[in-house]
Amino acid sequence: MISDLFSVTVLIGILASGIRLATPYLYAAIGETFSQKSGVLNLGVEGQMLLGAFAAFYVALSTGSLWLGMLTAMIVGALMGLAMAYVTVNLHAQQGISGIGFYLFGLGMSDLLFQKLMGNVETVKGFPKIYIPGLSDIPGIGEIFFSQNILVYGAYLLVPLAWFVLNKTTLGLKIRSVGENPDAADSLGVSVARIRYFTIILGGVLSGIAGASLSIALLNVFQQNMTSGLGFIAVALVYFGGWRPVGVLGGALLFSLINSLQLWIQVLGIPIPSDIAVMMPYVLTILVLVATVSRVRSPSALSKPFEREN
Amino acid sequence: MTESTKLPSGKPRIETIEMRGITKRFPGVIANDKADFDIHAGEVHALLGENGAGKSTLMKILYGMYRPDEGEILLNGKPVTIASPNDSINLGIGMIHQHFMLVPTLTVAENVALGLPSSRGALTDLDRVSKRIVELASIYGLKIDPSAYVWQLSVGQQQRVEIIKALYRGAALLILDEPTAVLTPQEVDELFVIMRQMVKDGHALIFISHKLHEVVEISNRITVLRDGRRIGTRLTSETTKQDLANWMVGREIGFAPDRGKVEIGEARLKLEKVECGSDRGTPGLRGVSIEVRSGEILGIAGVSGNGQRELAEAITGLRKVTTGRVFLEGKDITNFAPGDITELNLSYIPEERMRDGMIKDFTIAENMILREHHKMPYSRMGFLNLSDISKHADELIAKFHVKTPSRETHAKNLSGGNIQKVVLAREISRNPRAIIAAQPTRGLDIGATEYVREQLLIERRKGVAVMLISEDLDEILALSDRIAVLYEGQVMDIVPRSEATPERLGLLMAGVHPEVSS
Amino acid sequence: MKKFVLTLVLALALVLSACGAPATEAPVATEAPAEVPAATEAPAATEPPAAPAEPFRVAVVMPSAINDLAFSQSMYDALVRIQEEMGGPEAFEFVYSEGMFVVDDAAAAIRDYATQGYDLVIAHGSQYGSSLQEIAPDFPETSFAWGTTADTFGQPNIFAYEAASQEGGYVNGVLAATLSQSAVIGVVGPIETGDAKLYVDGFGAGVAATNPDVTVNVNYIGSFSDVALASEAATTHISAGADVLTGTAQMVVGAIGKAEENNALWFGTQSNQSSLAPSIVVASQVYHWEVTLREIIALINEGTLGGTSFKANLANGGEVIEFNPDYALSDEAKALAETTIQGIIDGTIKITLP
Ligand SMILES: Nc1ncnc2c1ncn2[C@@H]1O[C@H](COP(=O)(O)OP(=O)(O)OP(=O)(O)O)[C@@H](O)[C@H]1O
Ligand SMILES: [Mg+2]
Repeated sequence: MISDLFSVTVLIGILASGIRLATPYLYAAIGETFSQKSGVLNLGVEGQMLLGAFAAFYVALSTGSLWLGMLTAMIVGALMGLAMAYVTVNLHAQQGISGIGFYLFGLGMSDLLFQKLMGNVETVKGFPKIYIPGLSDIPGIGEIFFSQNILVYGAYLLVPLAWFVLNKTTLGLKIRSVGENPDAADSLGVSVARIRYFTIILGGVLSGIAGASLSIALLNVFQQNMTSGLGFIAVALVYFGGWRPVGVLGGALLFSLINSLQLWIQVLGIPIPSDIAVMMPYVLTILVLVATVSRVRSPSALSKPFEREN
Repeated sequence: MTESTKLPSGKPRIETIEMRGITKRFPGVIANDKADFDIHAGEVHALLGENGAGKSTLMKILYGMYRPDEGEILLNGKPVTIASPNDSINLGIGMIHQHFMLVPTLTVAENVALGLPSSRGALTDLDRVSKRIVELASIYGLKIDPSAYVWQLSVGQQQRVEIIKALYRGAALLILDEPTAVLTPQEVDELFVIMRQMVKDGHALIFISHKLHEVVEISNRITVLRDGRRIGTRLTSETTKQDLANWMVGREIGFAPDRGKVEIGEARLKLEKVECGSDRGTPGLRGVSIEVRSGEILGIAGVSGNGQRELAEAITGLRKVTTGRVFLEGKDITNFAPGDITELNLSYIPEERMRDGMIKDFTIAENMILREHHKMPYSRMGFLNLSDISKHADELIAKFHVKTPSRETHAKNLSGGNIQKVVLAREISRNPRAIIAAQPTRGLDIGATEYVREQLLIERRKGVAVMLISEDLDEILALSDRIAVLYEGQVMDIVPRSEATPERLGLLMAGVHPEVSS
Repeated sequence: MKKFVLTLVLALALVLSACGAPATEAPVATEAPAEVPAATEAPAATEPPAAPAEPFRVAVVMPSAINDLAFSQSMYDALVRIQEEMGGPEAFEFVYSEGMFVVDDAAAAIRDYATQGYDLVIAHGSQYGSSLQEIAPDFPETSFAWGTTADTFGQPNIFAYEAASQEGGYVNGVLAATLSQSAVIGVVGPIETGDAKLYVDGFGAGVAATNPDVTVNVNYIGSFSDVALASEAATTHISAGADVLTGTAQMVVGAIGKAEENNALWFGTQSNQSSLAPSIVVASQVYHWEVTLREIIALINEGTLGGTSFKANLANGGEVIEFNPDYALSDEAKALAETTIQGIIDGTIKITLP
């Protein structure tokens, strides 16, 4: 039975669902990477995702336009980010606690709106699969990589883009310095507040898209608390990935692939109790983390409010 | 002599800057009290004053980091508003801070480029920046690798990065806030070469230091601040070290402490062939065997980075000893937990007091009981005894002349020198059996330096074993009974005080055995 | 000022999360349920007595939303029906806290309701058991009900209720085996325990009894709320060749979507899931907890506050198989379902669970 795991169908199945499962993690975790790189721990990701998921779903359902849904999710995420930025940058709030506050807000608000505006679980037609001409016909590879919906492609394009912005642009340089030594950045005329506003809002927008990727691209339903902790795992993936987009990608893929492997293990009837199987992604991710630990340090100013004086 | 109005960097000179009637208040303190200050192109103007006199504050106002409550700033005779570092950078003002403003995880070039517009728009142009760094560096004879990460650099090299940063931004006026405090004598000489070159080119330099011989050597004029006010400005050529000291502190200062006679007793601290690693993975200590006896000060001389830090940390349990043994009063304490070693009454004044010696967001009173907080009388049955803690803090603040509005002030709001004093006061006041003091007078004003040296001598008289790690040869020679010289993690030699001369120690510090070379 | 704004923001967050999730007043005037519940015809030896002066007050705490098309909704719908039967909110009043997936929050809500003197406090979720075991002895005057389980902890003020969900599972399984052409069927479950396990095992038994050559692949995803993983589980089943799917608990909404996309048939349980994907849902096993609730209310009115456990099943009308009118199920298949139901009720069909 173990050998069944190595059949082509199964391997393609595992890879294709791993790629899909990683999508929301990527958006949320890359967004979180930006804000953590600038020194802000945003634990509100889950809440931003939920509100984004609802906004996208509701707007897509009532207007029939998926793109309008996406846009709304991004705006909602940006507004949540704006509020988070005000609370952490201007009010110097304890970031962990205010993050949890925003999570609860998103959880409650998305459910409240869902009850008031919809009241029933419904479905929409989400973003269709896009078959990349030529590439999608390649056996195996085509099905895994080139027959996904647009938000899946977007998530993977985001990784090199984020790397580029962080490492090759003046903005990225400012972000990194603000997260490591805000005093130094400040002494060179870099506005710590402005950079943090930017990264937190960007994180919000990406979390909004992460939510939308669930509700109008991958699952095409909205349900109360449908993210079920995904946003928190995204935060963990940022640590796992050592605050590098490629590391985050590695973590998201590892976690998701083991999750889809685990699904297949059960389907193929390989005699591992389901309770053990569902723990595999968590256990293995932790093992990998332990094995590769010690390499990277978190941004030195992470979760420390910045204040010049007066 | 025809002086051009441009600097070698192509930026215009600053002919004069005048600060008039500057007042700056912090909660509970007036840091600057109607202070005046002026400087013109082509001079080094030294700013002197005791710890907490308001030197850094005045300079941060000039650099736009603080807004003054009163007063005005005139640039070439015209009033200007400097609301942020951005403004001052645009006016051609640069500052090297008492605590470096570098991002350790970035490269030299990235640190320099940070915050500057790029020739490639949104993309960084690090290649161009690197080229320009090399150009600028060669003008001033600075050696610097633009692609090195800042965390890999020595303190002296980091300072060069700070200077390059300012030059790169076309600084015509450069403020150097205690730039020499962390430098070796050689590095100080190198810095002075650069400074002289800059002055010749038409820069204006403001130089802050507590070391009077440096001030006398490098400056053209000297201004002294006391309690936030200017008490006078003199030409350097018309004054002496002794004059300055008396003027500054308002009393006579003796430069040679009285050592007195002390009975030397048993070995309190003993290292046997100790080896350990360093932060960079290279060997830190290589078979160090030394002992410090009761009633003796053992000076540890050496150029920084030759194992001093590792030595202190290996003894105090902060660094793992790979082979060899460490004994405190005959008890093997090799690789004990730092807390357990503290319990055995070993005091430690770490070199990086801001980082290793205190908690910046705690109050002074709390910092003063960091080691003893769980013991009587500060803690009774797990509850902090606030009245005894306060009494203790007030006593130490008075004894060590810590300049602070109150014992409840957060440590981070103290002046650089006063932060040092808090750690010193705590470590010396706990009646230790042995003390490890690393650079104990770094950043202290002359009055405080005198006081600390006296304290170490008093402890010695009480029979305490003192290990004094210092890069200041004068200090080592003035206080030590014996002097061990560290070079690349090894003890080159241990010289008794009577045989120690600066020349002999200098050779040993460079890794040369006098007998071998002669 | 800053402190004030900050407090305000946090307070707002808490208030919103509070009104989003817990303690929502039930709508007072609800429209009559579209269909007459099958259970009203069931022998009602325990017809509730005429409305007393004081309304009967019930509070319920449940793990997901009242409209989850699954577990929580089944209880909510039942309460609405009871209210209807008893003559509206003057006679029967109920409040609920939904979305209590955090057990500690649920425990706080249960204690709260007990303090407020409700006649019956329902802990609708097997995960609330140990909390209830602690709370119930503190309120000996209050009656509690806990489901789904058979365990009353031997306490005089706890009723237990559960559904014999293997019965409906068996019926669904029989139909699924008949309809599957690929001879592969996929099951998406939450955690391998309780109600979900009963349903899944019953389903498997039904398939095996009908056509032993049909493979049933079972996948427990380890969560009641992870919609994304449930959806991938469905995709996995389909890749493995399944053309008929079923699943239990609220996160299956993700799986139903995938079934629809791939034209696989779906069998629902806990609530009627036809509305989610009218073209592929064949039938749903629906819980009618009002059967159990009626008995419990009657006992409470007689002064018995607990100690009994109830089981909703096909025979007592606590479970009903509802067909999706939009799905054209052949008459033979329907007839097969009816005989199976009859067989289970009269005991000629014995369901043996693994
Ligand atoms: N950000 C701040 N908040 C509150 N008080 C401050 C702050 N910065 C400085 N002070 C206080 O202002 C006074 C002057 O400090 P300043 O740092 O200017 O002294 P300094 O002359 O540079 O001393 P040192 O030689 O020790 O560096 C001190 O009493 C200090 O405690
Ligand atoms: Mg200073």
